[in-house]
Amino acid sequence: MLKIYVTSVPVDDQEKALAFYTKVLGFIKKKEVPLGEYKWLTVVAADEQSGVELLLEPMAFEPAKLYQQSLKEAGIPWTSFAVDNIEQEFERLKKLGVEFSMAPKEAGTVKIAVLDDTCGNYIQLMQQL
Amino acid sequence: MSTPNKTFFETAIDRIYQEDSFSPKMYAQVRLSKAYMEKFYIEKIQLDDIAKTAFLSRFHYVRVFQRMYGVTPRAYLRDIRVLKAKKLLKKGEPITAVCFGVGYDSLPTFSSVFKKCTGYTPKDYQRINKAI
Repeated sequence: MLKIYVTSVPVDDQEKALAFYTKVLGFIKKKEVPLGEYKWLTVVAADEQSGVELLLEPMAFEPAKLYQQSLKEAGIPWTSFAVDNIEQEFERLKKLGVEFSMAPKEAGTVKIAVLDDTCGNYIQLMQQL
Repeated sequence: MSTPNKTFFETAIDRIYQEDSFSPKMYAQVRLSKAYMEKFYIEKIQLDDIAKTAFLSRFHYVRVFQRMYGVTPRAYLRDIRVLKAKKLLKKGEPITAVCFGVGYDSLPTFSSVFKKCTGYTPKDYQRINKAI
């Protein structure tokens, strides 16, 4: 049986990304393996530490930078994280200085918001209703 | 701070949900049924009971739920039960107790469903997680 064990977000600076994804968003660092000038650097959800890992992947491939930048300019999130209570998370993150391109809004069976991860991406938060 | 101008993404989201075929009332009704499953998964739940909580006929309810959530109510309830079972097994609860504790009244059925969803029998899943 094949399993999804990792997914990734491209980041312009791995150290800066690690700080944002752990200290601000609240993930836990899982793996840090030196790989040339970069690292295999992953984080996990605090309550699912053996679950799917999020790879903070260095954005080192020039054509991909254009793709990332185009998504950002359109406000399209790179990926989506689930939260239990989006309004609470929105308020908590705003207090920490996180910028949102979209405040929480209901969209059918979900409530979503979009934040700037400061590393080149918008990220969607989702609460299932 | 939210930006005053909507992004392409937000505009697209607004358009999609303005054109949505379901009314906010219908979403609210179906959410009631989802909450019912999340609350009463321990009990033997019949599809008719769930549909009633959404004020819909059984046939209409299954179609609407699947259109909204992408899975049938039966699959949604199964997933809740398997998720709860995984937590209980990790805590070291006896497998039979976990089976009944998440709404199954047959150990073979529970084991079969659990294996289909996780790739492991409840016994193996518990052993692996104990080993860790």
